[in-house]
Amino acid sequence: MARYFAKRIGIMIIALFMIALVTFVIMHSIPGGPFTSDRKASPEVEAALNAKYNLDAPLPEQFLDYVGGLLHGDFGPSYKYPGKSVNDFIYNGFPVSAKLGGITIVFVLLAAIPMGVVAAVKNGKWVDMAVMALATIGVTIPSFIIASLLIYVFSYQLNLLPTYGIDTWKGYILPVIALGGYSISYMARLMRSSLLEVMGQDYIRTARAKGLPEWKVVTGHAMRNALIPVVTVLGPTIANLMTGSFVIEKIFAIPGLGGYLVNSVTQRDYTTIMGVTIFYATFLMVMIFVVDIFYCLIDPRIKYE
Amino acid sequence: MDNKWEMLPSSSEEREKIWTKNRTFAGDVWFRFRRKPTAIAGFVLIVLLLLFALLGPMFTKYSYSVQNLEVVNIPPIMKVFDAPDGNGYLYITQSLKVLRVNPDGTLGDQLKKVREESEMSMTIFDCGGTEVGLYYGQKPYVIADPATKVICSSSTVRNASYLLGTDSLGRDILTRLMYGIRVSLLVAFIAAAVNMVIGVLYGGISGYLGGNADTVMMRIVDIINTIPLTLYVILIVVLLGSGLQSIIVALGSVYWVDMARVVRGQVLSLKQQEFVLAAKTIGSSTKTILFQHLIPNAMGSILVTVTMLIPSAIFMEAFLSFLGIGLQPPLASLGTMCNDATANLRTCPYQMFIPALGICLIMFAFNFVGDGLRDALDPKLKK
Repeated sequence: MARYFAKRIGIMIIALFMIALVTFVIMHSIPGGPFTSDRKASPEVEAALNAKYNLDAPLPEQFLDYVGGLLHGDFGPSYKYPGKSVNDFIYNGFPVSAKLGGITIVFVLLAAIPMGVVAAVKNGKWVDMAVMALATIGVTIPSFIIASLLIYVFSYQLNLLPTYGIDTWKGYILPVIALGGYSISYMARLMRSSLLEVMGQDYIRTARAKGLPEWKVVTGHAMRNALIPVVTVLGPTIANLMTGSFVIEKIFAIPGLGGYLVNSVTQRDYTTIMGVTIFYATFLMVMIFVVDIFYCLIDPRIKYE
Repeated sequence: MDNKWEMLPSSSEEREKIWTKNRTFAGDVWFRFRRKPTAIAGFVLIVLLLLFALLGPMFTKYSYSVQNLEVVNIPPIMKVFDAPDGNGYLYITQSLKVLRVNPDGTLGDQLKKVREESEMSMTIFDCGGTEVGLYYGQKPYVIADPATKVICSSSTVRNASYLLGTDSLGRDILTRLMYGIRVSLLVAFIAAAVNMVIGVLYGGISGYLGGNADTVMMRIVDIINTIPLTLYVILIVVLLGSGLQSIIVALGSVYWVDMARVVRGQVLSLKQQEFVLAAKTIGSSTKTILFQHLIPNAMGSILVTVTMLIPSAIFMEAFLSFLGIGLQPPLASLGTMCNDATANLRTCPYQMFIPALGICLIMFAFNFVGDGLRDALDPKLKK
């Protein structure tokens, strides 16, 4: 197992290096320098700017400099906002995004697992049908449409919840539902099918035969094994939520990291695009890795070769 | 025949004969596919959407890009007031102008403004010789007779000029919807096709060669798989600039990983079978074995993966366009239409819900067809 994890860490490091390289190459192959604008700056100013940001050095040297900075946690300066560094954006934006994402993950787990369990236990009954219908709708409708619908119904028609901002707890309700909708549906379906499969196994019959009440069979015996596939998709789900929040942050005007990334794309703020992308990718990879370790710990049957 | 129990002569050849009709693999799949109502519904829906998107623009007299600022934000169902001259109805636009609506629901001319009566909170318009007043003292605004101050009786009328209304720049939403579905489907189909080609080639070669080549190729796939694809699509769009081509290139180059895995898995198990050995024995080249024997046999799972890939491509295009880094105006796609509508969601919800419904229908249709195909192609479920 240690070998497997060592291999995983190796792949992760290579992948991160590749990400840094590819983003760097992409950002530097865009025609025009970072200071090209409609107003032509004088050659002296341009030369001074290039010298200040070390842009006159050969590209490989710039890349090594950049990676060296990354290893020290320095993502470089922003070209569009003088005096601001990409680190500032991450410090400001990431806690907001992480809080939204964290609340959503908890909400997703609390909603999806009971939904899936109820659907599986009441297999074929109307509860099952209702949960599955809801889950099918949730998987197919994009989050920004769910968000618009929610705003229209709960903010404009019923006047219950704010349309933007997260100053109060009320502000979190709509973004969390819109962001988590897909994951809830997906996980509820997964939970249902895996619990149904487990419930058909012999050891469940044994548990019933020795006279355990049905709820104990489900929670004590079946759930443990049925949860494993759900844990497996937890990593990709986190990735999904973090990248899905770009849209949700835009709709609800939440000042998170996704908003900074989208802004930097439309403003062509190259170092910010580069830095935030690398930060996101690193964060997501580490999260997926942690989930995999966790997954391996809860299920002793899994032996990685 | 009188005696039904009489023995008939039968030869051994007849006894061995298969009397039921011979069914091909495709026929078999179709037979199982059409027994699933959701799959058939999805299939019909896709055909209808394609017809709507491809043939629809022939029947519309509007363009998707020409703006008409006189008819901004007109809903599909209008609240109108009876015109005092008895000639149709009057409709108050959001910019406080009055439009004449003909009795059949088509939009007429804008009424000419006569004067402003600020004490009465009225704007007086000339309506075929008689004066009508637009009372703006309270919401919702009403049309009244300026002399008697009697509010004209109101009713609702279907908008016959713009069946689905107009957007915030006065463009016909129905026309934009046709072009939007066309663009969304175009992007999705091209992306799916490109991904299929790359994925099948990559996975096929990796699976068939095996050994070190396979290890290296799959390690690369592992590395790509750890990178969040949304970020890469955004980067590629940044590199190539926003627009239709860059979206297609971006979506075409990132989704092949799943396809490659599926094909590799299939090829790995297929290449152990005897027909491959037979092909090798008669001296077929690697290329022939791969393309004539292995990939056609893996076509089932390839097809399912492609149908499932199309909704993700549509979703990603809508996602990017909604963020404002996808297609650029005036080009319409379902995502840009939703994005344009967010600004006036409160006053004109129909502008959001019509394209949203379009996206949902497409997603439902492809998901249902994909589910149906997967069940139909799975021989384990064969009855």
